[in-house]
Amino acid sequence: MSKRQPYPQVEAIPGMPVYWASLEERAATPEQEAKIAAERAQEFPEGASELIDPVSRRSFMSLMSAGIALGALEACRRPVEHIVPYNQLPENVIPGVPAHYATVAEIRGEAIGLLVESHEGRPTKIEGNPEHPSSQGAVDLQGQASVLDLYDPDRARTPTEGAHARTWAEFDAAFSARMAMYAPTGGQGLHVLTSVTRSPTFLRMRDAVLARFPNARFHTHDTAIGGSSITAARVAFGTPLRPVYEFDRARVVVSLDCDFLQTEAGAVRNARAFADSRRVRSGRDSMSRLYQIESTHTTTGANADHRLRLPVRDIEAYGRALALRLATAHQLDMGDVTAALQGVTPPAGVPAHWIQAVAADLVANRGQSLVVVGARQPAELHALAHMLNEALGNAGRTVRYSLPIDPGATDPVEDLRGLAQAMETGQVQTLVILGVNPAYDSPGDLGFAAKLARVPVSFHLSLVHDETSQHCTWHAPTTHFLEAWGDAISSTGVLAIQQPLVAPLFGSRSEIELLAQMADLPVRTGHELVRQGRRGPLGADEHAFEREWRRALHSGIANSPMPGMVVAGVRRTDVAAAIRTRALPTTPISRTNLEVVFQPDPKRFDGRHANNAWLAELPDPMTRIVWDNVAQVSPTTARELGLHGGELVELNKDGRSIRVAAWITPGQADGSITLNLGWGRTHAGRIGDAHGFDVNPLRSSQSPFALEGVALRMAGETHRVVQTQEHHRMENRPLALEATLDEYREQPRFAQHQSPTPRTLPLWREVQYEGHKWGMVVDLNACTGCNACVIACQSENNIPVVGKDQVSRGREMHWIRVDRYFVGDENDPQVASQPVACVQCEEAPCENVCPVNATAHTPEGLNDMAYNRCIGTRYCSNNCPYKVRRFNYLNWHNDGPYQPGDPDVPETVQMQHNPNVTVRFRGVMEKCTYCVQRIQTAKISAKRDNRPLRPDEITVACQQSCPSQAITFGDLNDDRSRVHALARNERGYKLLAEIGTQPRTSYLAKIRNPNPEMHG
Amino acid sequence: MQIFPRSLNRIPALVAIALALGGAGVTFVVWYYFSPLHTQVGYQPRQPVPYSHRLHAGQLGMDCRYCHTGVDRSSVAMVPPVQTCMNCHALIRTNSARLAPVRESWCSQFAPDQRTDANCPGVPAARRGELASNQPVEWVRVHRLPDHAYFDHSVHVTAGVGCVECHGRIDQMDVVRQSQPLSMSWCLDCHRNPGPRLRPQDQVTNMEWQRSGPVAQARPVDPPQHCSGCHR
Repeated sequence: MSKRQPYPQVEAIPGMPVYWASLEERAATPEQEAKIAAERAQEFPEGASELIDPVSRRSFMSLMSAGIALGALEACRRPVEHIVPYNQLPENVIPGVPAHYATVAEIRGEAIGLLVESHEGRPTKIEGNPEHPSSQGAVDLQGQASVLDLYDPDRARTPTEGAHARTWAEFDAAFSARMAMYAPTGGQGLHVLTSVTRSPTFLRMRDAVLARFPNARFHTHDTAIGGSSITAARVAFGTPLRPVYEFDRARVVVSLDCDFLQTEAGAVRNARAFADSRRVRSGRDSMSRLYQIESTHTTTGANADHRLRLPVRDIEAYGRALALRLATAHQLDMGDVTAALQGVTPPAGVPAHWIQAVAADLVANRGQSLVVVGARQPAELHALAHMLNEALGNAGRTVRYSLPIDPGATDPVEDLRGLAQAMETGQVQTLVILGVNPAYDSPGDLGFAAKLARVPVSFHLSLVHDETSQHCTWHAPTTHFLEAWGDAISSTGVLAIQQPLVAPLFGSRSEIELLAQMADLPVRTGHELVRQGRRGPLGADEHAFEREWRRALHSGIANSPMPGMVVAGVRRTDVAAAIRTRALPTTPISRTNLEVVFQPDPKRFDGRHANNAWLAELPDPMTRIVWDNVAQVSPTTARELGLHGGELVELNKDGRSIRVAAWITPGQADGSITLNLGWGRTHAGRIGDAHGFDVNPLRSSQSPFALEGVALRMAGETHRVVQTQEHHRMENRPLALEATLDEYREQPRFAQHQSPTPRTLPLWREVQYEGHKWGMVVDLNACTGCNACVIACQSENNIPVVGKDQVSRGREMHWIRVDRYFVGDENDPQVASQPVACVQCEEAPCENVCPVNATAHTPEGLNDMAYNRCIGTRYCSNNCPYKVRRFNYLNWHNDGPYQPGDPDVPETVQMQHNPNVTVRFRGVMEKCTYCVQRIQTAKISAKRDNRPLRPDEITVACQQSCPSQAITFGDLNDDRSRVHALARNERGYKLLAEIGTQPRTSYLAKIRNPNPEMHG
Repeated sequence: MQIFPRSLNRIPALVAIALALGGAGVTFVVWYYFSPLHTQVGYQPRQPVPYSHRLHAGQLGMDCRYCHTGVDRSSVAMVPPVQTCMNCHALIRTNSARLAPVRESWCSQFAPDQRTDANCPGVPAARRGELASNQPVEWVRVHRLPDHAYFDHSVHVTAGVGCVECHGRIDQMDVVRQSQPLSMSWCLDCHRNPGPRLRPQDQVTNMEWQRSGPVAQARPVDPPQHCSGCHR
């Protein structure tokens, strides 16, 4: 008998790319090797299996014996449950059958149509509306997670005056009295600060207020997106047109600091179109190419074929040099702009091919190329890109322009600066703040909070009593978008009605209702206000209006003459003039001239989702850090500065300073430090407070997104930063496979060769699966790594949040994780993302070791998990080669991060739970089951109607949410299903196929499309 | 010198036998009598309203689905809203004291100034003001499955499983009692061999239907026997 050998550690094969999850794993110092080896020797990540409660053996015994005695008594009595029926059953409600309603939400400057699932009046799950163009069935992280914001236990419940709770009647009296004061002066001294909105009703209400108070001033607030694109469109077109990109028609995309797949407006639609341009099914298919120029590794950068890391400041110089090259070497007609660009040189360190080859590629794909610019770049670069897209013949093909919702829109940062000045000089007598939180998120140099405290009377309407509310005279709770009527127009010009799913939980009022009150309109309910806006375009026929209104509510789209798409001519003289007036700085960015860049957080955005526990615990798509933000520094710069990950640094500029933990990120531009907005809040609630670092005090309203010449000083302390990528590590085995397009054409089945099926016979007789055979295919070429699937899974499957401390012990509970691997050079690596959930092995190692048969196979090939049978030995997790099983070390639904101070998870949070999925208790193993509740519901519905299941009838949560449609689920035995065809694709491979587990989930290997000219 | 008589040598053996028999007896008692067949069957709690199924479903012959409307569409059969009771009892037995909770629940859904004679039949005017808004009738659940068992009424009813198979002769009960153990093994008995429990689709709610000869099945029936068929 031969001794069993452990699975051989795969050494790097010469010529094969080496994947690494973190710098520690890559750098092979002896100590780190030892640490990794020690971790490998253990069953679970370090600390994960230890009891950490401060409970002594004696107290444990006494508690246990008392518990057993009580439990025994309890068992004698049957728990009495009550059934509480409706008094009057609402129309169309069948208890037990969820209803779906169409609505719309404004997320990151775009209106996204939604379908929301409601269980007897409780909204539980948000999905995209397939008919809405900016959603096409998917929603992003924030959209998925916003259902939890509805149930936020820290939402304000009553109006307050200072620290005193007041009734709405008292608020109304004070508000109306204050407004009546302005009737004689026409609103002189009355200022209103609102978010940048896409709601026509909101704008109509604003105009109604201005009709009553012509001298009142409205300001917009948005410091995460900024207003460069608005200013640029005014320069280039004369009106604030908004570019709408058609990535699926683009063969070559040059992205200048534009994270169009994650944080920029319209990311959901962009991700779908971008993936469509890269969905290679055979060697004959073509695929687009993305050049990304950015300072920090973003999700978009991770998907680039070529990525150039440049400090944010230098990207404009790169753009100009590229434009000049197009004009000189390729005779691109750019009018006056060519002259304005004369003498431009590319920033230091940019290889020549990054100008020459990129320009050549753009010109070779005229009309099928696209230049996009990130929101934080200056207006001049945006204008230049508009001009380039026109000159390259892309306008009208890969980019169109939508007419503005608000033709008077201005740069919100300048707008805020104007308001701050007016507050300084005492012109602001009354300030009404709707929804936004300027005391937290405005740039530090404005000193907004202090100025706000000096405004005689201020009213703040927001979800929670936040930082701004602290400085306002009055605060009133506003409605969540699932509680209020409203509307929003997408950038593609589609109007959707925001339909509430539930009456306001805490008796709050929506922004349009408060504006109607301010304008003293006779109609003040949101419902009637929105209907009024629709009445006009539809004429006087009441019957036709009702029919149209109901249709719009049902489909989620109100078709009507709305601002359409146009192709406008670029005013080149104005663009040239703008470029001439803006001289570019010359001092190079380096360790002596550090640049600090501010970017919206991929999860919390500008902080508005701060109290959302799902988003807080979601690993950052690139750094994989949870519950924190950090200052990202490149490995080279960190070495030069002597910095280590987790060290606290003090950043100082013009007397404004912040402290933040440093983190070394591969792919970061040297000399450039990136800070994420949205963290370090103080009045967000129990989840949002005291996590991360508030970076807003360092910002300047003159240059809100990048500063140079920032002084860095070590604070001499360290901060514990927790990241998940090193948990559940997969030991350098070839997991995320990839090839270039040329390699793929040469060897289409490369992935199967790298991940071969074993030649040995299986140990048991193989099961022949007839009937349904559930399977999944994940296309790594389409996956952008945005992590929307993780939140979708969490909201569908009642997955708990465990808190930062528990994540540091490797106890996170996400059933699906998106692994992020770096490939290549530590300073400039490429990235591969790979979503991994339970792969439902046909020869499942977990099942063989379960002593109680709690995990067993179904005849359809699912690896079932019967929670109530599980006794928590964790053998299955130990034996799982994919590390996808999660164990409830504590009763997370009671002892999660809502502690301390909460006896329980608040009742409102429990209202989000999906009633079709068991809420798991302590001591139970859990994992992905392909959303078995959805499979069962579909099967039951088919049985009820006495019909076979339709192909692709079942959509699992991760698949449903995926903006780029990277995940496909279905019946492998049904040759009409999409998954049937994809599972046979030549790019397909199975994870760790060589160990013979026969997973049902297969992957399609990633294909990159590098430009051969780029190796100059 | 022998202190103890020889006969005592048998004591250890007797003790061992007694322990074994006693242990077996206790095991049997617990295994048999602590099972749902004995702990659950017969559960017959008092309800807030003494609603009689014998009267309504038995003597009056009302179909089960007049009240339990979700039974063929949803996982839950649905205890009817008060509205269903009031369909008749707005006119019939408007003075019955036993029906007072039903009438008050109906009345309580109206705003205090709307509680008119038409909206609150049979509720004394003095009582109308005392009612909290939307006061429900809290029925006590009789047939209770554990939370991790996801039973679906619709799929069983459309397969031709009669109401009587699980709920017993409801039409003969004044107060509803549990007549079957509703344990997992009891479920599996039928899932393994559903044939004898199936009846034609139009006889599902008929409490008195008797099998006579082969039965035309409502549709092909293939009940799940794996974990996730019921547990998710």
